[in-house]
This record gives sequence, C-alpha cells and structure tokens, in this order.
Amino acid sequence: MKKYLNNIFNRKKHTEGKNSTDDFHEPPSGLQNFLLELGGLSRFTGNFFRELFNYPFEIKEFLKQSYRMGLSTLPLIGITAFIMGLVLTLQSRPVLVDFGAESWLPGMISVSIVREIGPVITALICAGKISSGIGAELGSMRVTEQIDAMEVSGTNPIKYLVVTRVLATTFMIPILVFYSDAIAFYGSYVAVNMHGYISLQLFITQAFDTLHYFDIIPATIKTFFFGFAIGIIGCYKGYYSNKGTEGVGRSANSAVVISSLVIFIIDLIAVQLSEIIHIFSI
Amino acid sequence: MEKNKHILNNTNNDYVVEIEHLQKSFEGRMILKDINLKVKRSENVVILGKSGIGKSVLIKCIVGLIYPDKGSVKVFGKEVTPMNHKELDEMRTRVGFIFQSNALYDSMTVRENLEFPLRRNKTITNKKEINNMVYEALKNVGLSDTIDKMPAELSGGMRKRIGLARTLILKPEIILYDEPTTGLDPLTSREISKLINTIQNKYNASSIIITHDLECAKRTSNRILILQDGIFYAEGNFDDLKKNKDPFVKSFFVTV
Repeated sequence: MKKYLNNIFNRKKHTEGKNSTDDFHEPPSGLQNFLLELGGLSRFTGNFFRELFNYPFEIKEFLKQSYRMGLSTLPLIGITAFIMGLVLTLQSRPVLVDFGAESWLPGMISVSIVREIGPVITALICAGKISSGIGAELGSMRVTEQIDAMEVSGTNPIKYLVVTRVLATTFMIPILVFYSDAIAFYGSYVAVNMHGYISLQLFITQAFDTLHYFDIIPATIKTFFFGFAIGIIGCYKGYYSNKGTEGVGRSANSAVVISSLVIFIIDLIAVQLSEIIHIFSI
Repeated sequence: MEKNKHILNNTNNDYVVEIEHLQKSFEGRMILKDINLKVKRSENVVILGKSGIGKSVLIKCIVGLIYPDKGSVKVFGKEVTPMNHKELDEMRTRVGFIFQSNALYDSMTVRENLEFPLRRNKTITNKKEINNMVYEALKNVGLSDTIDKMPAELSGGMRKRIGLARTLILKPEIILYDEPTTGLDPLTSREISKLINTIQNKYNASSIIITHDLECAKRTSNRILILQDGIFYAEGNFDDLKKNKDPFVKSFFVTV
C-alpha cells in the first residue's frame, strides 16, 4: 500500500502526462484502487491550482470552452427543466388541493426548484454530457499522443487543457442552473394553468415571495462546487486515460459515474452546512 | 559514403545528444538496461529493434516526456532530468518530435495545427509573418493546398507530412522521428525518407529515427544502432551491418 501511495505522491513534476507508463508493480484492487484514485485526483487538483495563477492565462481557450459547454447543453437542460417544472407541479397539485392550499403551489415549487431540484438535476445532466465529453476528448488526445505533442511543443497541457475546461465548467454550471430554474418555473406555470388560470406576473410574484436569501445563496454557491467537480473529474479521467480506445470509453464512463456521485456528496455537505449556518444566524 | 561526408567534414564536432548508462523499467520489467548514445550535429542516427523493445521510450527520455530511472541524458550539453518547466520548454523548442500517430490536434485545421507551436514559442504576433511561415512549412512538405482542411480529411501520408511541417516550423536543431513510415505504402514511405534527407541537408538538423522500415533506414541513416535486450547490440552504417555475420543482426537485413 505504501508503495502505491508513494508512487502517486512522488511522481515527478513533469511526468503527469507521460502516458500509460506509471510505475506500479502489481495491479491494485479494492481499497487500494480507491486510495490511488483519491490520491491521484488530489494531486491533479493541486496541479490545477498551481497552474491556475501562472502566466500565460489561456483566456481565448477558456471562452471557447465556456461557449461550447454552455451552448451545447442549453437545449437538453431547457427541455429537462421544462418537464421537471411541469411534472413537479402536476404531482404536487392534488395533495395541496386536498388541503385547500392550491395557492401555495408556486411558492412550494419555487423553493424545491431553487434549493434542490434545479441545481442537482442540472449538475447531473452536465455530469452526463460535459464530464463525459471532457473525459472522452482528453482521453482520445492522450491515446493519440496529442497531449504529448502539446507538451513537446512547449505548451503546458495542464494549463491549456485542464485549467481552461475546469474554469469553464465552474462558471458555466451556475449560469446553466439559473437558466434551468427559469425554464422550470415556466414549466410549472404551464402546469398550473392546465387546471385553472393564473397570470404569469402573479405566478412569479407568488414564487419569489416564498424565496429567501437563505434559499438562493447556498444553492448558488454549491453550483460552483458542482461545476468544479464535473470539470476536474472529467479532466482527471481523460488525462490519465490509457489502453487505447477501450480506455477512452472507460474514462468517459467513469467520469460520469464519479462526478454524479461527487455531486450528491457535495449536495449533502452543502445542505448540512447551510442548515448549520441558518441555525446560527437566527 | 557521400551522405556521411558533411558530418565527417563537420569541424564543429560537438554532440547534440549524449546519453550515458540510461536505465528505465516499467512495472518491474527493465526495458532499457544500459543505453549509451552520442549524436553529432547534423547526423542521422537510425535505431532498429523489435516492437516493444523500448525505442520510443528512449526518444521520449530525450525530450523529458519520460524520466529515466538511472543514467544521464544531455541535450545540447544540458542534463534533461533536473530541468524545470521553463528550461524544458526552451529545450523543446530546439527539438522536434514526430509522433508515430502524427498527433495532429484533430479539433484544429491544418493551419491552426501549424500556428499552434509558433504562437506559443516564437511570440510572433504579426499575422502576415505567421501566415508566411505556415505557407513555407507546408510548401516544404508539398501540401500547400491542405491549409484549411481538418486532419480527419487527410490521408495517412499527408498527415505524416503535416506532422513534419508542424515540427519544422520551429526550425528545430534535433528531430526525433518515431516510426515515420509505419502504415504507409512503399511509395509514400520513400517520399517521407527523401523528405527526412532534405530536412537534414536544408536545416542541418540532427535526427534520431526509429523505424522498422529497412529501406527508410538505408536511405536516411548515417549510422544505425540495433536495440536488443535493453542495450545497443550492434552499431555501424547500413552496408557494414548488412555484411555482419552475427545471426541476430543478419535477421534484420534478411529481406533487403
């Protein structure tokens, strides 16, 4: 075990991109594999933060990635969010009608969308689309030696490929969550109007009346962490991809699985923390 | 013999690459046991050997993509292992690497592929100057008309040439070729071999060429080294090695 961890932490500074030739003497399994992944990911995150503040800043590539990631997921998130708002309202309505509390519907839906469902569902969709995309892209660049070519042409691949993509996901996911919330609100408004009539203005007023800063701020902060996790895990899995095309597929797949799991863990921590902060602030 | 003339006459007999007692192992298996190699300025050295014997590992050690377990690798008289990022980048601008898979960036056009190393290393901002350099590099490999194509639209031979052009654009003093003719038809292989010689003559560049292609070795080499069991088993020019009586060396030249 010690040998594996030493290998993870003592890899030389410039050898992170040295293809599939890491010096592990036996195939690790189970707990060892988990610790290896954790150690590798921590080290990779450390490399990200080290390169983040180093010159040159790849602003053009960052903007290109942000545009690509944001634009490519807009339709998918839009459709999902609309259905999410619609279904959530249709499912919740009968219960509220039984209690004669139908007028609470916009407020209840807005709280559940803004606090939980919007950020988590959007992050999960992005984990499926963006994280796997990054994993597959960097993985294929690794196996076709494009990352090595970048390195030998005097470009730091961590800086050019990883920092730009992780920053792009970190800043784009919160924007996509806002967009998703807005579309889900509209879906909810449509659902409410299927059984009666409420003006859009009244719907929005009722929805926002129920929302407090303690609903919006923690939910927004956690989306930055979701974005960071999606980017860094996709990059990590792709960057260390090996074993040819099979390895690329595996990288994309594990990027989705791990980032989805991490999203739930971050969500759990965020909920607990915001509860604690809320209690102390009262 | 004519091919070696300018190297023999080279008064500045300094070595651009010096490797001493290099060792490298992977997963407990020693790939390179004791490698010693010195390459002179404007010399073409060909390394022959069976697949998986460590030829690519050796040239990756030269550019710092892989670090040796033991031994010394010097490029332009400077040790590679202790180099920091900046020193490595400086060294790499003087060393070109042609990858076996060509390693063209497939999300970029041919023009962007060629501009990439230029913009990052030469700090040239003048668009006209960059354009001229890109056109010149493409002209050198005879592919000026592919400038706005994507790598996926090119044939294997064309991609190999674009890879060469991308490397040549920085006018490197050492070029490392990782199986430059693998997967190409005999005619294209011959053209690539000619191109390697043209580059040597035009840019006075030193080359280390890893190949299985004996015709390429014959056409391009000033010196051939045969790698076997982690050491250089035999060394000499093509004709000498061809006449060698050793059964293993002979087995390499049996088809020519």
